[in-house]
Amino acid sequence: MSELRLSSIETRGVPGKKRYAMVIDLRRCIGCDACMVACKAEYDVPLGVWRTWVPYRVVGTYPNVRKQFLPRLCNHCDDPPCVRSCPVGATYKVEDGGFVLQHYDRCIGCKACMASCPYNARFLLPKNRTSTDITGVVDKCTFCHHRVVQGMAPACVQTCIGRARIFGDLNDPSSEVARLVATLPTQVLRPEEGTKPNVFYIGADRNLTEHGRAVYNPPEVLERDRQAFDNHKA
Amino acid sequence: MGDFNIFHQMPWSGSYAIYFFVIGISAALFFFSTLSWYQAEFKPIRASAFYLSFLLLGLGGLLLIGDLTQPGRFLNILNPAYLNFASPLAWGGLNLISFGLVSVAYFFMLRSNNEPTGRLLGVIGSLLAVGLPIYTGFDLTVHQNRPVWNSPLMPVLFVALSLVSGAAVASFLAGKNEQLQVMLRRFMLWSAGGVGAMLISLLGTTAYGGVGAEQTFMFLTSGALGGIFIGLGILLGTAAPIALLVTPFGHRQTGILSAAVLILVGGMALRYAILIGGQIVQTYF
Ligand code: SF4
Ligand code: SF4
Repeated sequence: MSELRLSSIETRGVPGKKRYAMVIDLRRCIGCDACMVACKAEYDVPLGVWRTWVPYRVVGTYPNVRKQFLPRLCNHCDDPPCVRSCPVGATYKVEDGGFVLQHYDRCIGCKACMASCPYNARFLLPKNRTSTDITGVVDKCTFCHHRVVQGMAPACVQTCIGRARIFGDLNDPSSEVARLVATLPTQVLRPEEGTKPNVFYIGADRNLTEHGRAVYNPPEVLERDRQAFDNHKA
Repeated sequence: MGDFNIFHQMPWSGSYAIYFFVIGISAALFFFSTLSWYQAEFKPIRASAFYLSFLLLGLGGLLLIGDLTQPGRFLNILNPAYLNFASPLAWGGLNLISFGLVSVAYFFMLRSNNEPTGRLLGVIGSLLAVGLPIYTGFDLTVHQNRPVWNSPLMPVLFVALSLVSGAAVASFLAGKNEQLQVMLRRFMLWSAGGVGAMLISLLGTTAYGGVGAEQTFMFLTSGALGGIFIGLGILLGTAAPIALLVTPFGHRQTGILSAAVLILVGGMALRYAILIGGQIVQTYF
């Protein structure tokens, strides 16, 4: 199946180039948050910020209720607005593999990339960290670039007990991700933004993928959580 | 109830709105100083408008650098090996610095009072000055995922806001000079009218936009930002001064100055509401 390539930065279908992608099969996700923990451990991600996170929403009417999960991370977009908007080229797309990465020593902390990412995938690292000296710059998921180039799976993929996260090269037709994307109905988040995400979901429900009306009138408990979260971060 | 999400931070805090406000006024004041070489009425504020513009430019620069989490790396924006011209911020940084350099040259020229150079530097500086509100507008426009920001109106709206706020400040510099007040009154009236017209279309397209836009409209009009955007920005800061300026009282100095105060309050409120309004909904995504 050939896909339309619209911009020169895209890695889809480029001969000889890898295009890493993740498929998240939501039918298999049990919301154990092991991926969040593995990621925190891999990168010493500070309190209050996440490279990957697993929000949930409770749907249905009692007694028929269930939790829907939607693991989230940077989509390593094929046409990433964050790369476009960085004035100093501190965020860039790796041509072979499609990883969207950071030059930490170059970032001036203008937060333009955070403003342009439709997925809230980026966050600011605090000024002080205990055991890592990368501080006061923007960070995000790297698709575990350092592991993948050594032939290992990303930390979240390796740890997922439901095997809900599958990782591989979409440009390789024999890979599991290519097979899943080719044979099953998949969804990406906010496709209307033209970012061409490389994280694909199986079974994503629009309750989780759309801006809900609850945004306008969030239950009080959410506002209290938000306050606690903000205070904690400060 | 029972939902869990990570609460994301707004990347650009309210202090950017102060920067937009200050830099917009600085740009317009430089323009009025330049105008003095072509329109005799503006001559009395040639120096004062420029000095205030220069001061505000310095203040704006400090605000901008202070907002970076790595202020020491500000010069990265001048490094040709780093510059990414796809980003309006890169253009903005260059624009800001060249405007600063032309302003310094204009300062020395003012002291030597050399008319041909003054005109030339004034025109170059004014072109760079108009670039400031244009780039701040583009800075917002390019984020395709942000309701309200992602509108081609933004750069034009910011130019109009810059003119109206700048004219309001200049009316204080003009003192009792009636001829100049008449000119500034016109500037205020027409650019406030322009701002009003653009806000109406902005509200229309936001209200009828996609789901994020529709929710942003609700925030801007009745939610957390309703008082600031509609109350201070549109009613008190745009509609009221227009109404005041067309009355006989608005033709007198006290009337013009009262309208100027309202315009400044409105200018700040509108920039703040637009900046924050474009970010609220996504913090819940
Ligand atoms: S998800 Fe956001 S941070 Fe990641 S590549 Fe896309 S735009 Fe950039
Ligand atoms: S915060 Fe850093 S990475 Fe992001 S746009 Fe600014 S300089 Fe680039």
